[in-house]
Amino acid sequence: MQEIPMTWYLIVSAILFTIGVVGVLVRRNPLTVFMSIELMLNAVNLSFITFSKYLDSVDGQMFVFLVLTVAAAEVVVGLAIIVSIFRTRRNINVDELNVLRG
Amino acid sequence: MTNLTEWVLILPLLGFVLLGLFGRMLPRPAILTIAWGASGLAFLFALVGFLSMLQTTPDSARMADQVIYTWVNSGTVATGVLTNNVPLNINFGLLLDPLSATMLMVITGVGFLIHIYSAGYMEEDPGFWRFFAYMNFFIFAMVLLVSADNFLFLLLGWALVGLASFLLIGFWFTRRSAVAAARKALVINIIGDFGLMLAIFMIFQNYGTLNYLTTASGNGVFNLVTHNGVAVGITTAICLLLFVACAAKSAQLPLYMWLPDAMEGPTPVSALIHAATMVTAGVYLVARANPLFQVSPAALTTVAIIGAATALFAATIALTQLDIKRVLAYSTISQLGYMFMAEGAQNYSGGVFHLTTHAYFKALLFLGAGSVIHALGGEQDMREMGGLRHRLKITYWTFLVAALAISGIIPFAGFWSKDDIIGSLLARAVDGGGVLFYVLWGVALLTAGLTAFYMFRLVFNVFFGSYRGSGPLAHAHGEPEEVGEEEEAHHAARGGFYAIYESPAVMTVPLVILAVLSVIGGLVGSYAIFGRPTWHLFANFLSPIFSNGHWTSVAVLEAPLSIGVGWISTGASLALAVLGILVAWLRYRRGFEYKESRNPVYQLVLHKYYIDELCTAVIINPLLWLGRTATSLLEGGLLDGGSRGIGWVTRGVSGGLRRLQTGYMRNYALAILFGVVLLVIYYAVMRG
Repeated sequence: MQEIPMTWYLIVSAILFTIGVVGVLVRRNPLTVFMSIELMLNAVNLSFITFSKYLDSVDGQMFVFLVLTVAAAEVVVGLAIIVSIFRTRRNINVDELNVLRG
Repeated sequence: MTNLTEWVLILPLLGFVLLGLFGRMLPRPAILTIAWGASGLAFLFALVGFLSMLQTTPDSARMADQVIYTWVNSGTVATGVLTNNVPLNINFGLLLDPLSATMLMVITGVGFLIHIYSAGYMEEDPGFWRFFAYMNFFIFAMVLLVSADNFLFLLLGWALVGLASFLLIGFWFTRRSAVAAARKALVINIIGDFGLMLAIFMIFQNYGTLNYLTTASGNGVFNLVTHNGVAVGITTAICLLLFVACAAKSAQLPLYMWLPDAMEGPTPVSALIHAATMVTAGVYLVARANPLFQVSPAALTTVAIIGAATALFAATIALTQLDIKRVLAYSTISQLGYMFMAEGAQNYSGGVFHLTTHAYFKALLFLGAGSVIHALGGEQDMREMGGLRHRLKITYWTFLVAALAISGIIPFAGFWSKDDIIGSLLARAVDGGGVLFYVLWGVALLTAGLTAFYMFRLVFNVFFGSYRGSGPLAHAHGEPEEVGEEEEAHHAARGGFYAIYESPAVMTVPLVILAVLSVIGGLVGSYAIFGRPTWHLFANFLSPIFSNGHWTSVAVLEAPLSIGVGWISTGASLALAVLGILVAWLRYRRGFEYKESRNPVYQLVLHKYYIDELCTAVIINPLLWLGRTATSLLEGGLLDGGSRGIGWVTRGVSGGLRRLQTGYMRNYALAILFGVVLLVIYYAVMRG
């Protein structure tokens, strides 16, 4: 079986990242925004793995573990904030969360 | 010889501190105990020092320099050598020599009497404690001025008496005119302080020391004067700068304007500070710095000319003034001019002699005027007085004595000192002084006549004729008493005349003591008219100051005045004085019908030669304009504008920037995205 070229993985990664970016920018629901962020992180993870494989180095894989850990922690904190906001405002539309404007 | 000057210095300071801190809480007897005690004990210590000096022989041993502590010590220098780049050494030392002893006697003696008098004069003033605190402070500052043994502490005393003067002129600080007068006095005094400071810088630069005399602790300026290391021009500059200080402090032309205004202060202050002591500081300084002045004939001539010009100028103004205190103020300026004339003619002892006699009779004149003002409830205008000799008998007799003394009538104190001065001017003229000193002699004689005239114009207007008062007192009703016919006439005319009472004993006793001094105070110099300078006790007493192994300041006349010529001078001044009194008698003995003359000369003199107006137009208004312009342009435009501009720019910029902080999360995300895209483009394109 012929090996899939590195470029294809990177293209998939770029597509996933772009979907994530667009999701963050256009969605109003913070849960969807979070999922989009996860998508971006995993796109990055994919490119890390790809380079790890092709460069024959485990450094990339180590980064992936780090990213996964941080992503998990971030989601925990983020969801906690969202729950807290929902409890006080009964509304979690990101476009209306603008009280920190200058 | 006992040097008790430290106690003379400390006691008034202690009195000032006590009164200043606790005076508000103390009852009046306690305030008086402290104030009188401080000044009285200071006088006692000064007296002991003076008496022990009199018992010290020979004359050259009459000098005690007491170093209290070393303030600045930056190295040692060989004594008696004039070198540049020497270390600065300054001691706080007190010098007791014939000159400072004389000054201490005058300051503490007259000061003590005026402290006593003030208890009566200021009795009803709410600022009673403050007044005595300031008075003690003044005594302290003045003692420091005359007993310092170097120029730096002289400057300290010089500035502190200026401060005391400022505080006391502005004592009634709710009166605008008093505040303005205090400010004027301070500003002009600061001009003088500045001159003194520059002189001190030059002295240190050229002589390498600030001490007066060479002692174990270092060089003295006066001992170095005879070394030829310093150009005469430099010393002349030093002397002229010193004289700027003297002119400001002693109200000489052109810095005299503050003294007439200083009469806004309470009358005892005018007597002590602006007549007897502080204004004579300039005379003291010239006498003290006589070795320096002696090196510079130009400076001496300047002193003599300014003194003569001031004497005549102020005497003419005094002819027309209507305020009793202002007449005396101009008279003070004029008499100070006499003292400088004497010093300019190298008759330093004559200047100091007139200083002491003037202190007696001018203090007496002011205190007498104060007694009149007190009796009339604050009235100072001579047009509102008259006939007061019937009601104020002690004041009248003592005032008369003082007027005779200042007019130079034999044998009162002023005669001897004034004759000493006028005679020495003639002696200098005969002995190569040339036309200049003949002119000065003439000016001195003329001024003597004017002095007698304006003093007796004052006496006749205040004490003779009938009472012309129309103030609040005029309508009060006093006790009808057993009176003579003349007084009954007054009574019919003016009921208020009998509401006028002689001042209490606390005020009249100092008057009597000063009157006695005004009679006998000149006898210590009385032998001068017999043509035997060696008989002049006062000059002999001061002589160690004016000539010793290092310098000789007294004019050594090759052809001293013969007795006959001296008597011509004496006779001329006496005749002019009597003439002045006679003219005043003829014009004013029946009282004072004041009508303002339209004569332009009279108007010119009445308005004090419009000097104040000229000064306002030429100096003050441009300065005010400069200040206002600077306020609006520099303060308002540049400085305020600059700082406001910075604030304005910051606000503007941040006001623009804060619009970026929308609070919308997606805006931030988009911004981050753009940033990332830009970075990617940068690295992809720019870095190839």
